[in-house]
Amino acid sequence: MTAMRVDVKVVMLGKESVGKTSLVERYVHHRFLVGPYQNTIGAAFVAKAINIGEKMITLGIWDTAGSERYEAMSRIYYRGARAAIVCYDLTDSSSFLRAKFWVKELQTFEEHCKIYLCGTKNDLIEADRSMRQVDYHDVQDFAEEIGAHHFETSSKTGNNVDELFIKVALDFSNSALELMRDEKGVDLGHKKDSYFYACCHH
Amino acid sequence: MAADVHNKGGATWDTAKGGLAAVERMRSDRSDSPTPGLVEGTEPGAGQEHTMFVHAQSFEDLTADSESNPDAELTGNRRSAVGDSEEVQEGQGVELQGGSTGNEAGEQKQWAGQQRGLRPAREEDVTGEAWRAHRKHVFVLSEAGKPIYTRYGTEEALSTIMGVMMALVSFVEAEKNIIRSIHADGYRVVFLHKSPLVLVGVSRSSQSERELSRELQYVYYQIVSLLTLTQLDHVFRHKQNYDLRRLLAGSEHLTDNLLRMLEYDPGLLLNAVTSLPLASVARDALSAGLQVARAKSLVFSILLAGSRLVTLVRKKDQYLHHMDLHLLFNLVGSSSSFREGEGWTPICLPKFNTAGFFHAHISYLEPASNLCLILVSTDREDFFNLSDCRRRFLERLRRRSAYKALQEALHSPTYPVSQVGIPELWHFVYKSKSSGLYTSPELPVPYQGEEEHERLIRLYRYLHSCLHHPTRPLRSMYRSGNTENLFAWATSGFELYLCFSPLGTKALAMSAVTKLLKWIRKEEDRLFILNPLTY
Ligand SMILES: Nc1nc2c(ncn2[C@@H]2O[C@H](COP(=O)(O)OP(=O)(O)O)[C@@H](O)[C@H]2O)c(=O)[nH]1
Ligand SMILES: [Mg+2]
Repeated sequence: MTAMRVDVKVVMLGKESVGKTSLVERYVHHRFLVGPYQNTIGAAFVAKAINIGEKMITLGIWDTAGSERYEAMSRIYYRGARAAIVCYDLTDSSSFLRAKFWVKELQTFEEHCKIYLCGTKNDLIEADRSMRQVDYHDVQDFAEEIGAHHFETSSKTGNNVDELFIKVALDFSNSALELMRDEKGVDLGHKKDSYFYACCHH
Repeated sequence: MAADVHNKGGATWDTAKGGLAAVERMRSDRSDSPTPGLVEGTEPGAGQEHTMFVHAQSFEDLTADSESNPDAELTGNRRSAVGDSEEVQEGQGVELQGGSTGNEAGEQKQWAGQQRGLRPAREEDVTGEAWRAHRKHVFVLSEAGKPIYTRYGTEEALSTIMGVMMALVSFVEAEKNIIRSIHADGYRVVFLHKSPLVLVGVSRSSQSERELSRELQYVYYQIVSLLTLTQLDHVFRHKQNYDLRRLLAGSEHLTDNLLRMLEYDPGLLLNAVTSLPLASVARDALSAGLQVARAKSLVFSILLAGSRLVTLVRKKDQYLHHMDLHLLFNLVGSSSSFREGEGWTPICLPKFNTAGFFHAHISYLEPASNLCLILVSTDREDFFNLSDCRRRFLERLRRRSAYKALQEALHSPTYPVSQVGIPELWHFVYKSKSSGLYTSPELPVPYQGEEEHERLIRLYRYLHSCLHHPTRPLRSMYRSGNTENLFAWATSGFELYLCFSPLGTKALAMSAVTKLLKWIRKEEDRLFILNPLTY
C-alpha cells in the first residue's frame, strides 16, 4: 500500500444537526445510523474512490461540526476545497440562513470551490408536506444566482445521495480535463497540500 | 507555562529516586525480590526508564491548584483522626454507606456515553422530587450569574437557583472569606470560583469537600479543554453577560459523561490510568511501532483499548498529565463521531497549557474494534502527515505477531481476582506511584450492579480520603464491616486498596497484602507499561 491519494477535496458545511454526517455515512458506508444525535467533534475525514467512466477519482471528504465553537477553525477545513456541499434541513428555515452564510464565506475565501446546495431529510417532507420550511424554487433561484447546483436528499432512504456525490466527481473530472496539467493526484504524505491546491488553480 | 510543568516534573522525579545508584541496585534484583518497593521507583509496576506522565511527589501536588487550599470548611465538622493508622468498626462515626439507600428515584442512568439518550435528565421538572433526589448536582455559571451547565434539568429552568448561588458567592467573597463549602441538612454545597467561571457542587453523599472540589476542577478543565482559558477570558472580558452555552453547544454530554466517570472510574480518583494487560514483548513492539511512525509536529501518540491504555509514546521531555489523558479518554468515549472516519479536532490539554490548542488526530484502527489511536500534534495543518503516521503504524503492525497478541488481549481486557489465589480477597486497586498506572481485577459478582459498583468506589474513595487527609493523613487503615472488610495502605512507592470477604480477619488481610504484592511483582510485565518510549 502506498500513501493514499486524494484527487478532490470536498467539504461538508452547514448548521449543526442538518444531516451532514448522515449524508457522508450514507454515501460512504451505505448506512443510516439511528439513535441519539452524535455531534461531530472538530471534523472527520474520509476518502472514497469513485469510478467516472474509465477513470477512478478519489474524493477526500471533510465532514465539519458546524458548531460555533469551531467556527474560527473552519477555514482549515475548507481551504483548498474544490467542492463544498452546503447543507440545510428542509424542515428548518433557520438552517437555510446559515447555508447562505457559508456560501458567502466560500465566495469570499474560496472562489474556485464549486458549491452544491443540499436540502436534507427529504423523507420527512415526503411523509408530511407541511413539514417543509424551505421552498424548492427559492433555493433553485438562489442556486442559479450563485452558480451552484441544487439537490434535495434523504440519508434515511438514500434518495439522491449517490447522485449528489457522483455529480461532484463528474464536475471535477470535467474541470480537471480543462485545468489539470499535473496528472498526479495529491499525495497525502505531501508536506504542503495547500501548495498543490494553489498550483492546480491555474 | 508548559515548560514549567515539565521542569517541575523532571526535577521531582530525580530527587524522588534518591540517587540513581540505589535504584540501579534495586532494579537488578527487582524480579526476584518480592519485597514491596517502599522506595518510589522500585515498587511493582514502576517504569524501567522514564515515566510517561507528569510526575509529582504526591497526590496533592498532582491535584493542587494554587488558589484552592481545601482547608477552610465553614461547618468545622471534621472527623478527628487518630494517629498514623486506624481501625474502624462499622457505624463508628463515619457515614461510609452514605447515600446508598433509596435514592436515584427516576434517574435514568447509563454508563457508556455512547448509549445515552438525548440527555433524558434534561427534560426533568426542576421543582420535582426526583430532581431533588439526585445524589449530586453540578452547576456551572458565569461570574455574571448566567447559567452555563447543569447536570440535571435545563439551565433556563434553574436560573433562579443560579441567581441564589451567585448571591452567596458574591456575599462571602465580599467578606474576604472565600466561600468553599456549606454543610446543611444532609447536603454539602461546595463552591469553586475559577475566573471567569463559578462551579457549584451539591452532594447528598458522604464525599468530602476536597473530593467535591476536585470533581468541580475536573468539570472546569473539561470546559477549558474545549475552549482554552484564553478564549474563555476573552469572551467574558468582551461581554460580561455572554451566554457561554453558544460556544459549548453539543458538549454537555461530555461533561455528563465525565461526571459519571468520576463516580465509577478509580483512575480519576487515584490520578492514574490503567493499562490493557498485554505481554510485554507485544506491548514493546507496539510502542516501537508508534515511535517509528512519528512526525515532526507529534507530541503524544496514544493507543487505547476502550478506556485502557495500551501504550503511550511521547516527545522527549514532554509529559502528559493524567487529567489531560482522562479528558482525552472522555472525548473519545463520549462520542461515536470518530468511527465515521479520521477525526481532526482542536483540543486544549489544560494541565499542559491552558492557553492554546493541540490538534488531535483520532481514529479507530478497525471499524468494529475499540482500538483507538490518538495522535496529538502542535500543527493544525498537519492532518495528512498524521494520517500517514497512522497508516505506517498500521501497516507495520499488521505484519507482526504483536498484532495477533493484541487482538487476543482485547478479548480479555481484565482478569479475575481468583488469579491472585487468595480466596478471601474480593477486589483490589493497586497504584504504582512512579508510573502513574494502576491495576485492578474485574469486579466480583457482588459489585457488578451499577449501584453496588458505585458503592465500592465510594468505599475506596473514603479510604483514599483518609490516606490523603490534608492535616492528618493515615498511612494505613483497616475497617471491618457486615458486607466487606477493607484495607488501605500507602507507601512512598504505591497505594493499595483491598476489599475482603467480611469473614476474614485483619491478620489474614495483612498476609494477603504480602502475597498480592508478590503476585503483582510477578505479573508486572503484563499489567504495567514498563518500557515507555519517546520519539
Ligand atoms: N429523517 C431523517 N433524519 C435525518 C436525515 N439525515 C439526518 N437525520 C437526523 O438528523 C440528526 C442530525 O444528523 P447528523 O447527520 O448527525 O447532522 P450533522 O450535525 O449535520 O452532522 C440525526 O438525528 C439524524 O438521524 C434524513 O435524511 N432523514
Ligand atoms: Mg456531524
